[in-house]
Formats: sequence, C-alpha cells, structure tokens
Amino acid sequence: MMHLIDELKVIPGVVGACIFDTREGLRVTNLPVIFKPERLSVVGKHLAKLYAAGRMSFSDLTDLTLTYDESVIIARELEKNTLIFAICDPSFNHNLLSMSFNLLQEEFKSGGFSSAEAASPMEDQPSPTQQQEPVKPPETVNKSVSPELKQLMEEMKSALAKILGPMAEFVFDEVAEEWVEDGADFSRMESLIGQLEQEIGDEKKAEEYKQLIAPFLKNY
Amino acid sequence: MATAKDFVARINRVDGVAGCLLIKDDGVLLGQTLEDPEVYSTLMLISGGQADDIMHKIGFSYCRHLSFSRLNNRHFYVFPINNYLLGIVQRSDCYIPDMLDAVYRLIGRVSTKRTDVDVSNDEFS
Repeated sequence: MMHLIDELKVIPGVVGACIFDTREGLRVTNLPVIFKPERLSVVGKHLAKLYAAGRMSFSDLTDLTLTYDESVIIARELEKNTLIFAICDPSFNHNLLSMSFNLLQEEFKSGGFSSAEAASPMEDQPSPTQQQEPVKPPETVNKSVSPELKQLMEEMKSALAKILGPMAEFVFDEVAEEWVEDGADFSRMESLIGQLEQEIGDEKKAEEYKQLIAPFLKNY
Repeated sequence: MATAKDFVARINRVDGVAGCLLIKDDGVLLGQTLEDPEVYSTLMLISGGQADDIMHKIGFSYCRHLSFSRLNNRHFYVFPINNYLLGIVQRSDCYIPDMLDAVYRLIGRVSTKRTDVDVSNDEFS
C-alpha cells in the first residue's frame, strides 16, 4: 500500500500522505516523522467525520480541502471507511493531486488492497491484536436493538447534544452503529459509553455526560 | 458601519459566487442569498469546529478556508471570520483563484485576524 502514497509524494508541493481507516486507524503514512502517527490518527478521525458530514449535504462530494496558513490538507474517500489524505505546501498543484487521487482510487478499488496488504496496519508491522489473540470461531452476535434499548440510545443521543452540539447526532450514530455490530446488549453498555467518552475527548465534559445519562441508565 | 446583510450582498456580487450565507459561531443566521441555508449552516458549524481541532492537533496556526469539492463543480467554501462563518457556493464556471482573491480582500476588511484592517467583531451589527 505504501507504493500508492509514495507516488503522490513525487508531486511538487506534496509533503506526504496517509491512508486512514475509520475502524482500524492509521494504515500507512509516508509523512516526515515530525507528523507523529498518533496525531495523524486523530487528524484522520476528524477528517473522516468532516467528510461524512459533507457527504450528508452533498452526495456528489469528491475532495475535502482544508487550507491553513502553512499547509493544505486534501482528503478523499477511497472506499467506505477508508480515507486518503495528503499534506501539501500552499503552492501545490491541486489539479495534479486531484488527478492522482482519481488514479489511486481506481487502483485501490481494483487492486485488492482490502484483503492482503490492507490487513496489516502501518505496513508490515503486525498489530498487537494480531500478535496476541488467537483466531476465535465466529460467534452469534445479537444485532437487533430492542425498543427499550432504542429508547435509551435516543436519550443518550439527546444528552450528547448538550455536550457536543450539532456534531452529536453524527458522532453518536457512528459509534452506536459499530457498537450494535458487536452486539446490541445492555451488558455491553460500558463499552458504548467508553467509546462516546473517547469521542468527547475531554475528561470534564465526559464526566458531565455520564452524569446526564445516569438517570436513563438507572431507569432502564 | 457595514451590516451583515451589506457584507453578504457584497460577497454575493463577487464574480464566480453563486450564493452565500453568514452565520455566527452559535449557528444564528445573519444573512443569506441561498434558498436553503439550513442545508449549509449545520455543515458550516461542524466544519469550523473540526478544522480548529485539526489545526490544534497538527500545530498549524490559522485556517483560511475549507472547501467541499463536488462533481457538479458547484464547490462549497467555508471561511472562518473571527466568531463568524461565511459559506459560499461557487458557480460551476468560475475561475477559482480570482474568486478566492476577491473574497479574501472583502474578508480582510471586516476581520480582526490575518489583516491589517482592524475592525471589531461588532462590524456585523
């Protein structure tokens, strides 16, 4: 997968690029080491949210561009849940990069990166999960949400709006969707709350959110 | 003193601008020339917040604008201006650098950031 983004780096003004997966995090980057992978992961998360919000307003959205004083960030969705973003000097050639994104997108779709190469985050480094956990047999997961649980989740979403504002609905739906995929069971509620706390990203606000939802959880 | 509506009207006259809207960072709509401002205003609020978060995380100093490129070439731009957000829909046939230059010039007259012209936020009264 690295060779895909290495081709972008040849374009004048392109500092480097990353491929980010909303479920697995940063997959690969060729940006200078000054851009730490942890920070790029957070940036990827923000870009993915922004891209999804843009897609809600514009179904024909192609690229997302953020122009800062020092640099420009351009993001494109390669496929569902997978985003590529490049960081460039302000003088970069937008049309050339956009065309390269088009080619890369085609190559990504047809190249089968979703199985072999894409399975190892950050290229050849196996993830801790891969190293430690043996392959588990498939389990039956309850993905249907009971009316009571649905009601609780709606209340939790409304409470999140008091903390995050207009972004809450999108954040909650995204996190809840993943949570339901792993089993819509109240016994796993701690995991959903934990994920939401991470999205809030502020200890004080996360505590405030927990206080807001406590009565709903108690009444469930 | 220029009002928000004057500013929006002036931006709307820029060559290449198909329509625009100005909102406060709490979501209050101050002026618009677009038919369905609510479609854009929520996106603008989200954009402003996310662009700021990215800026702080990666260590950049100032966000000039964001743009959402579309297949129909009616790209959408968001310009943070102090406590306000300006949204612009571009005409599909416009020459983007000229449009952006003209918009930046007008923003420079009302913004207290990144400009030599010192005008308070109350300019949009």
